[in-house]
Amino acid sequence: MTPQNPDTWKTASDVPEAIREPLGRLLLSLADNKRLLGMRYSEWILGAPTLEAGIACSAMAQDEWGHGRILYAMLKDFGYDPGALEHEREAAEYLNSELLDSPPNDWPTMLALNALLDTALTVQCEALTESRFAPLHYKVRKLLDEERFHFEHARGWTARLAETDAGRTALADAFTVGAGPVLRWFGSAGGDIGSVLATEGVVDGDPDALRKRWFDRVRPLLDQVGASVPPSADLGWSDWDDGRRRTGAGGPDSDTLARVRGDKNRAMLMD
Amino acid sequence: MTDLVKIRRGPRADAGYESPREHGMNFAAVLAETIGRHPDLELEIPSWDTPPASIDEAVWRALHEVPDPEFPISLPDLGLVYGVCVEGTTARVTVSFTASACPCVEFIKWDIRDRLLQEEGIEAVEVDVTWDPPWTADRITPRGRRALRRAGVSV
Repeated sequence: MTPQNPDTWKTASDVPEAIREPLGRLLLSLADNKRLLGMRYSEWILGAPTLEAGIACSAMAQDEWGHGRILYAMLKDFGYDPGALEHEREAAEYLNSELLDSPPNDWPTMLALNALLDTALTVQCEALTESRFAPLHYKVRKLLDEERFHFEHARGWTARLAETDAGRTALADAFTVGAGPVLRWFGSAGGDIGSVLATEGVVDGDPDALRKRWFDRVRPLLDQVGASVPPSADLGWSDWDDGRRRTGAGGPDSDTLARVRGDKNRAMLMD
Repeated sequence: MTDLVKIRRGPRADAGYESPREHGMNFAAVLAETIGRHPDLELEIPSWDTPPASIDEAVWRALHEVPDPEFPISLPDLGLVYGVCVEGTTARVTVSFTASACPCVEFIKWDIRDRLLQEEGIEAVEVDVTWDPPWTADRITPRGRRALRRAGVSV
């Protein structure tokens, strides 16, 4: 137990009201991003540049869906109905990064999700391994164990695309587009949610600290292709919604929403 | 914290869903067929020298007859069973899985339910899923390691 964590919370009902809501929203955002990211990986199982990349996408999709399943199930103790979260929400109720609203239309854009957004979710999960909210400890450890090779995949493909001018330029463009939304996803520096969760010992690090950890990890990839990242003072917060951890009032597009909710398979839902 | 998953008995009226087992299907057998589990390898079921001292122990022993869907190893020998507790006529079993997105979760739950409902005094089965602590290969028993080696898996 660290000095910041004088006592841990063993269940959601132990968590003070003022913290339970932002913590629940953080877990829901992780769940939504992982579920949708898994769907994006799955779209490349057929059609990735190599057979091996397709198989890697299959494995990463499976990991993300498994993590989504664990996180949605945890939210039951926060007063949510996990089945309704997975199958019955409207687009505006999703807490996903705007990068996941629509399918990436080329492989470099998919790699930007792999290198930047997937890594951001991992950095956030790492900051929960010693959380004051004890039920996270083991679950996050399981998640992180399964995440280990995702970044290796991004690193390998970055090196590969960096070998040609066309590949390097395409990936630099995709990284530059993706970096801003991913940096914002950690939360606004002056916003209540990230600061409260850090102050209360739920998350190890406020949004700026998490951004720095993320940047330290992805910087070699960004540098390799010459991508630029907006400075944190210039991230564009004008339309930012701290509660939904995204910019703008949008959400998953209609096709994405129908698929992620499983609209075609409602008659076959099992407990 | 565990995520309670309550397994319903009998047909699910609202969706017209019925347990595949009620149609004579055995998930483990179907999957073994599909993914090519070696047909000559059978589950090694321990022989017990004494009658079970309690109904909890009877349930624990019965779980040794529930195989992993992929390999001829029982769920306890694979280290997936974290706890057994019988309350009245309800058996509550706490399990974990090797991977968070294990595609056999439902199969395994049904197989647990179907085996335990054959035990005298058990009328309902509830399966709790836990990740605390995460499963690792260290949880495999010596008998389980022998079974995996026979199946060609190095552990």
